[in-house]
Amino acid sequence: MSRVIAFCFLLLASVLGYLHIDSRPAWAPFASVYPVDIANPVEDSPESPESNKPAKTLKNAAPVKLIQPSLRTDWLPDTGAPSVHAASLITLKDGGVRAFWFAGSREGAPDVAIYTAVFDPQASRWSAPTVVMDRVSAEKGLSRYIAKLGNPVPARMADGRMQLFFVTVSIGGWAGSSISSVISDDEGLTWGQPQRLISSPLINLSTLVKSPAMLFTDGRLGLPAYHEWIGRFGEFLRIDASRVIDKRRMSSGRGAIQPVVFADGPQDASAFFRQTRSSSQLKQIPVSETKDAGQSWVATKDLEIPNPNSAIAALTLANGTRLMVLNNIEAGRYRLVMVMRESNSAQWQVIQVLEDDESLANDQRREFSYPYLISANGEDAHLAYTWDRKKIRHVYFPSAWFKQAVSSLKEKEAQ
Amino acid sequence: MIASYLQPIALLEMSLTCSVVLIVLLQKLSSKEIPFAVRIVLALLLTNLFFWPLGMSLELPLSAYVRGVTGDLSIVTLLLLWSSMLPSAKKTPLGFKVPLALIAIAFYPLALGFGMMDPYAWGYGSIGFLVAVVLFAIVCGLAGWTKGVWILSFAIIAWAAHWHESANLWDYLLDPFLAIWALFAIPNAIYRKRREKMQSGYLFRAG
Repeated sequence: MSRVIAFCFLLLASVLGYLHIDSRPAWAPFASVYPVDIANPVEDSPESPESNKPAKTLKNAAPVKLIQPSLRTDWLPDTGAPSVHAASLITLKDGGVRAFWFAGSREGAPDVAIYTAVFDPQASRWSAPTVVMDRVSAEKGLSRYIAKLGNPVPARMADGRMQLFFVTVSIGGWAGSSISSVISDDEGLTWGQPQRLISSPLINLSTLVKSPAMLFTDGRLGLPAYHEWIGRFGEFLRIDASRVIDKRRMSSGRGAIQPVVFADGPQDASAFFRQTRSSSQLKQIPVSETKDAGQSWVATKDLEIPNPNSAIAALTLANGTRLMVLNNIEAGRYRLVMVMRESNSAQWQVIQVLEDDESLANDQRREFSYPYLISANGEDAHLAYTWDRKKIRHVYFPSAWFKQAVSSLKEKEAQ
Repeated sequence: MIASYLQPIALLEMSLTCSVVLIVLLQKLSSKEIPFAVRIVLALLLTNLFFWPLGMSLELPLSAYVRGVTGDLSIVTLLLLWSSMLPSAKKTPLGFKVPLALIAIAFYPLALGFGMMDPYAWGYGSIGFLVAVVLFAIVCGLAGWTKGVWILSFAIIAWAAHWHESANLWDYLLDPFLAIWALFAIPNAIYRKRREKMQSGYLFRAG
């Protein structure tokens, strides 16, 4: 008799389980980043011949000399902490830009907190920094011990709210990371209760985030994340508010982390990774592609741009031009460049050398790393990157600067 | 609705789990059977000790520190552990532990990045996976382990109700601690069988 009752209960559980699966949202296509009227229709088409062409080697010609005045550089405000890292940016509704970064006595120290400041483009000034999250507020909000905080990555939710994903570690090094998130209703002035994303079956260990999220047409977010423990590989998390509702592997093995994703259309996208390969393997950018809006990914041929095991930043402008900021060297992080690929080209070209310590002795070379790119209006670009771990540099590329860069490249090619 | 209670519920579960683990350890050390009533009182006391913030230099309740290291345990682990406190508690059959250990051996390497196939992703909403779990529960029931049917049913319902932070059915069924327990149970059972055989051998040896 007791067995019959147990089986009846199992039947009830099965029905509830089925209803739960049935109520899950179907996987949706990628939403267009820019409105259709300003986006390049060629770039939006999944049948675009350019998007199917393998990207060719980075042109190693000397970067085009550009007239500098229109490029504006400054620093994110000083927090007084000796070590800063992992800056990220998001456009505000009023046209401003909010930055997030972590600062403390050193990377991974218990006193590391996530800071934020707002850039006013009219006045070209940063506001005073404030703390979004420190270790104690994270552990109180998440009701568990937290040893340290890591990378913050902001995202714009479909309903207009701002969501900040950030890395927390309870045990071990960065390999023991998990992702949590907080949501703000007021453009980042105040934040709600942090919530944990569960993305790994082994004590939820070792999922990190570094790159911007993508929006699906159903309003949910696709967050490129990565594992950095036994395996080092990319994962694409489908997120509904503060919950992972699905995830797909973007690569496997131990050679590719920190994916950045370029959407080629509603179903197509390519992901570029920071390589973490063994010394005998090629030090260039691993690539994966999807043709079903991120449901399945296939590793393809590398992009033949050197990568010294360092993060890259990616951005598509409204006219389809693609930008990346990266260290195009095989070892060290002493040179940082911006590369561009026009929508009708398969060639990546260096358009700006941002930092270069090549002429210095090895021990004097500084680290320029963790770039993060956004565009405020689809024509310009804001870049933030770690400058020798001591400061975060902010560079603004106005739209006129890109037009000039493109025409200079064309002139150069014509010669 | 459940969302606002999610963290206190998880801490309460962890507090009870910690207290049950301590009582089980105490039982192992003690030569006498601890009476059920004493176990209940101990569990109540210890659960409170783990659940409430103790102040001093601790920022969080004790259970939050344990939770920081272990994460939320699966419903199967919780129910197996808690039910071991009951007076009528019987040993979990090897017929459950062996398949569980085999599943864990195959599951964890694949879920942690070995190859492109990720069985963990099935837990978000694969009908096939749900059917497999239900079939496993039916087999448990037919084999005479009714408790297993109840436990797996509760795990499925907890997943459907978003009881924990995870939206993945795997996290309600399996965790590394359960896997290790199942893995250790196999050599343990073999060792015990051998010992029994040896003892019975002595019993019936001609004098």
